[in-house]
Amino acid sequence: MEAQRVDMFILTNAKYFESYQINGIRDRLVALDDSRWAMISTVQLKDPVISLVISILVGHFGIDRMVIGDLGLGILKLLTCGGLGIWTLVDWFLIMGLTRQKNMEKIQPYLF
Amino acid sequence: MNRNKLYVFLSAACTTGIIWLAITYRREASNGGELGVCLFKRLTNIPCPSCGSTRSVLSLLKGDISGALMWNPIGIILMVFLVITPGWILWDLLRQKSSLFDFYRKSELFLQRKWVATAAILIVLTNWIWTIYKGN
Repeated sequence: MEAQRVDMFILTNAKYFESYQINGIRDRLVALDDSRWAMISTVQLKDPVISLVISILVGHFGIDRMVIGDLGLGILKLLTCGGLGIWTLVDWFLIMGLTRQKNMEKIQPYLF
Repeated sequence: MNRNKLYVFLSAACTTGIIWLAITYRREASNGGELGVCLFKRLTNIPCPSCGSTRSVLSLLKGDISGALMWNPIGIILMVFLVITPGWILWDLLRQKSSLFDFYRKSELFLQRKWVATAAILIVLTNWIWTIYKGN
């Protein structure tokens, strides 16, 4: 893929990934064929900041976990009163990283 | 989430649950009253959807099924979870299989269906309204 297009993609989407993943993604994108561009540009990525807001507001009900795709754990969090409140607190700190990880998992099949 | 991570997580959840039950059971026996760890209830004074489930499980342990239902039906689900999960994990580890993980994956896919999700949300909401009405 053209380096300019890839840089544009990285610039607009860097916030969705961990900083250590960015270089790898960039290298993979440059090596990819142009025909993949349409697929990659339409992957729906989740914003870590939105996840954090959801986690702070309704994380106690497991909604944050459900939103990022961990449905089973979200339900467990809901049923256990936010893991006795402990899990709710822990997730406030973890959820942004988890969202970035989920984004990476989502884009990975298109990169290889 | 891979198999081992899920199993470690579920084991930790079960252990915490059992320790929590033991603490509340001893407290109840000595009339220490409620511990009240629910963040939502502390902040808003409104019970959360799963408020009352500890008391529900404790009623179940005493054999009082209707009492358990009255406190919060979620307690019964949690009790089933607490009884089945540790055994299932042990079974899987001994036989080096991943049947619980497969089941977890399948139930996640099942719950993602629109009508199942809608029904589940409705049930949880109805139960929540009932919990608020009872004032757990």
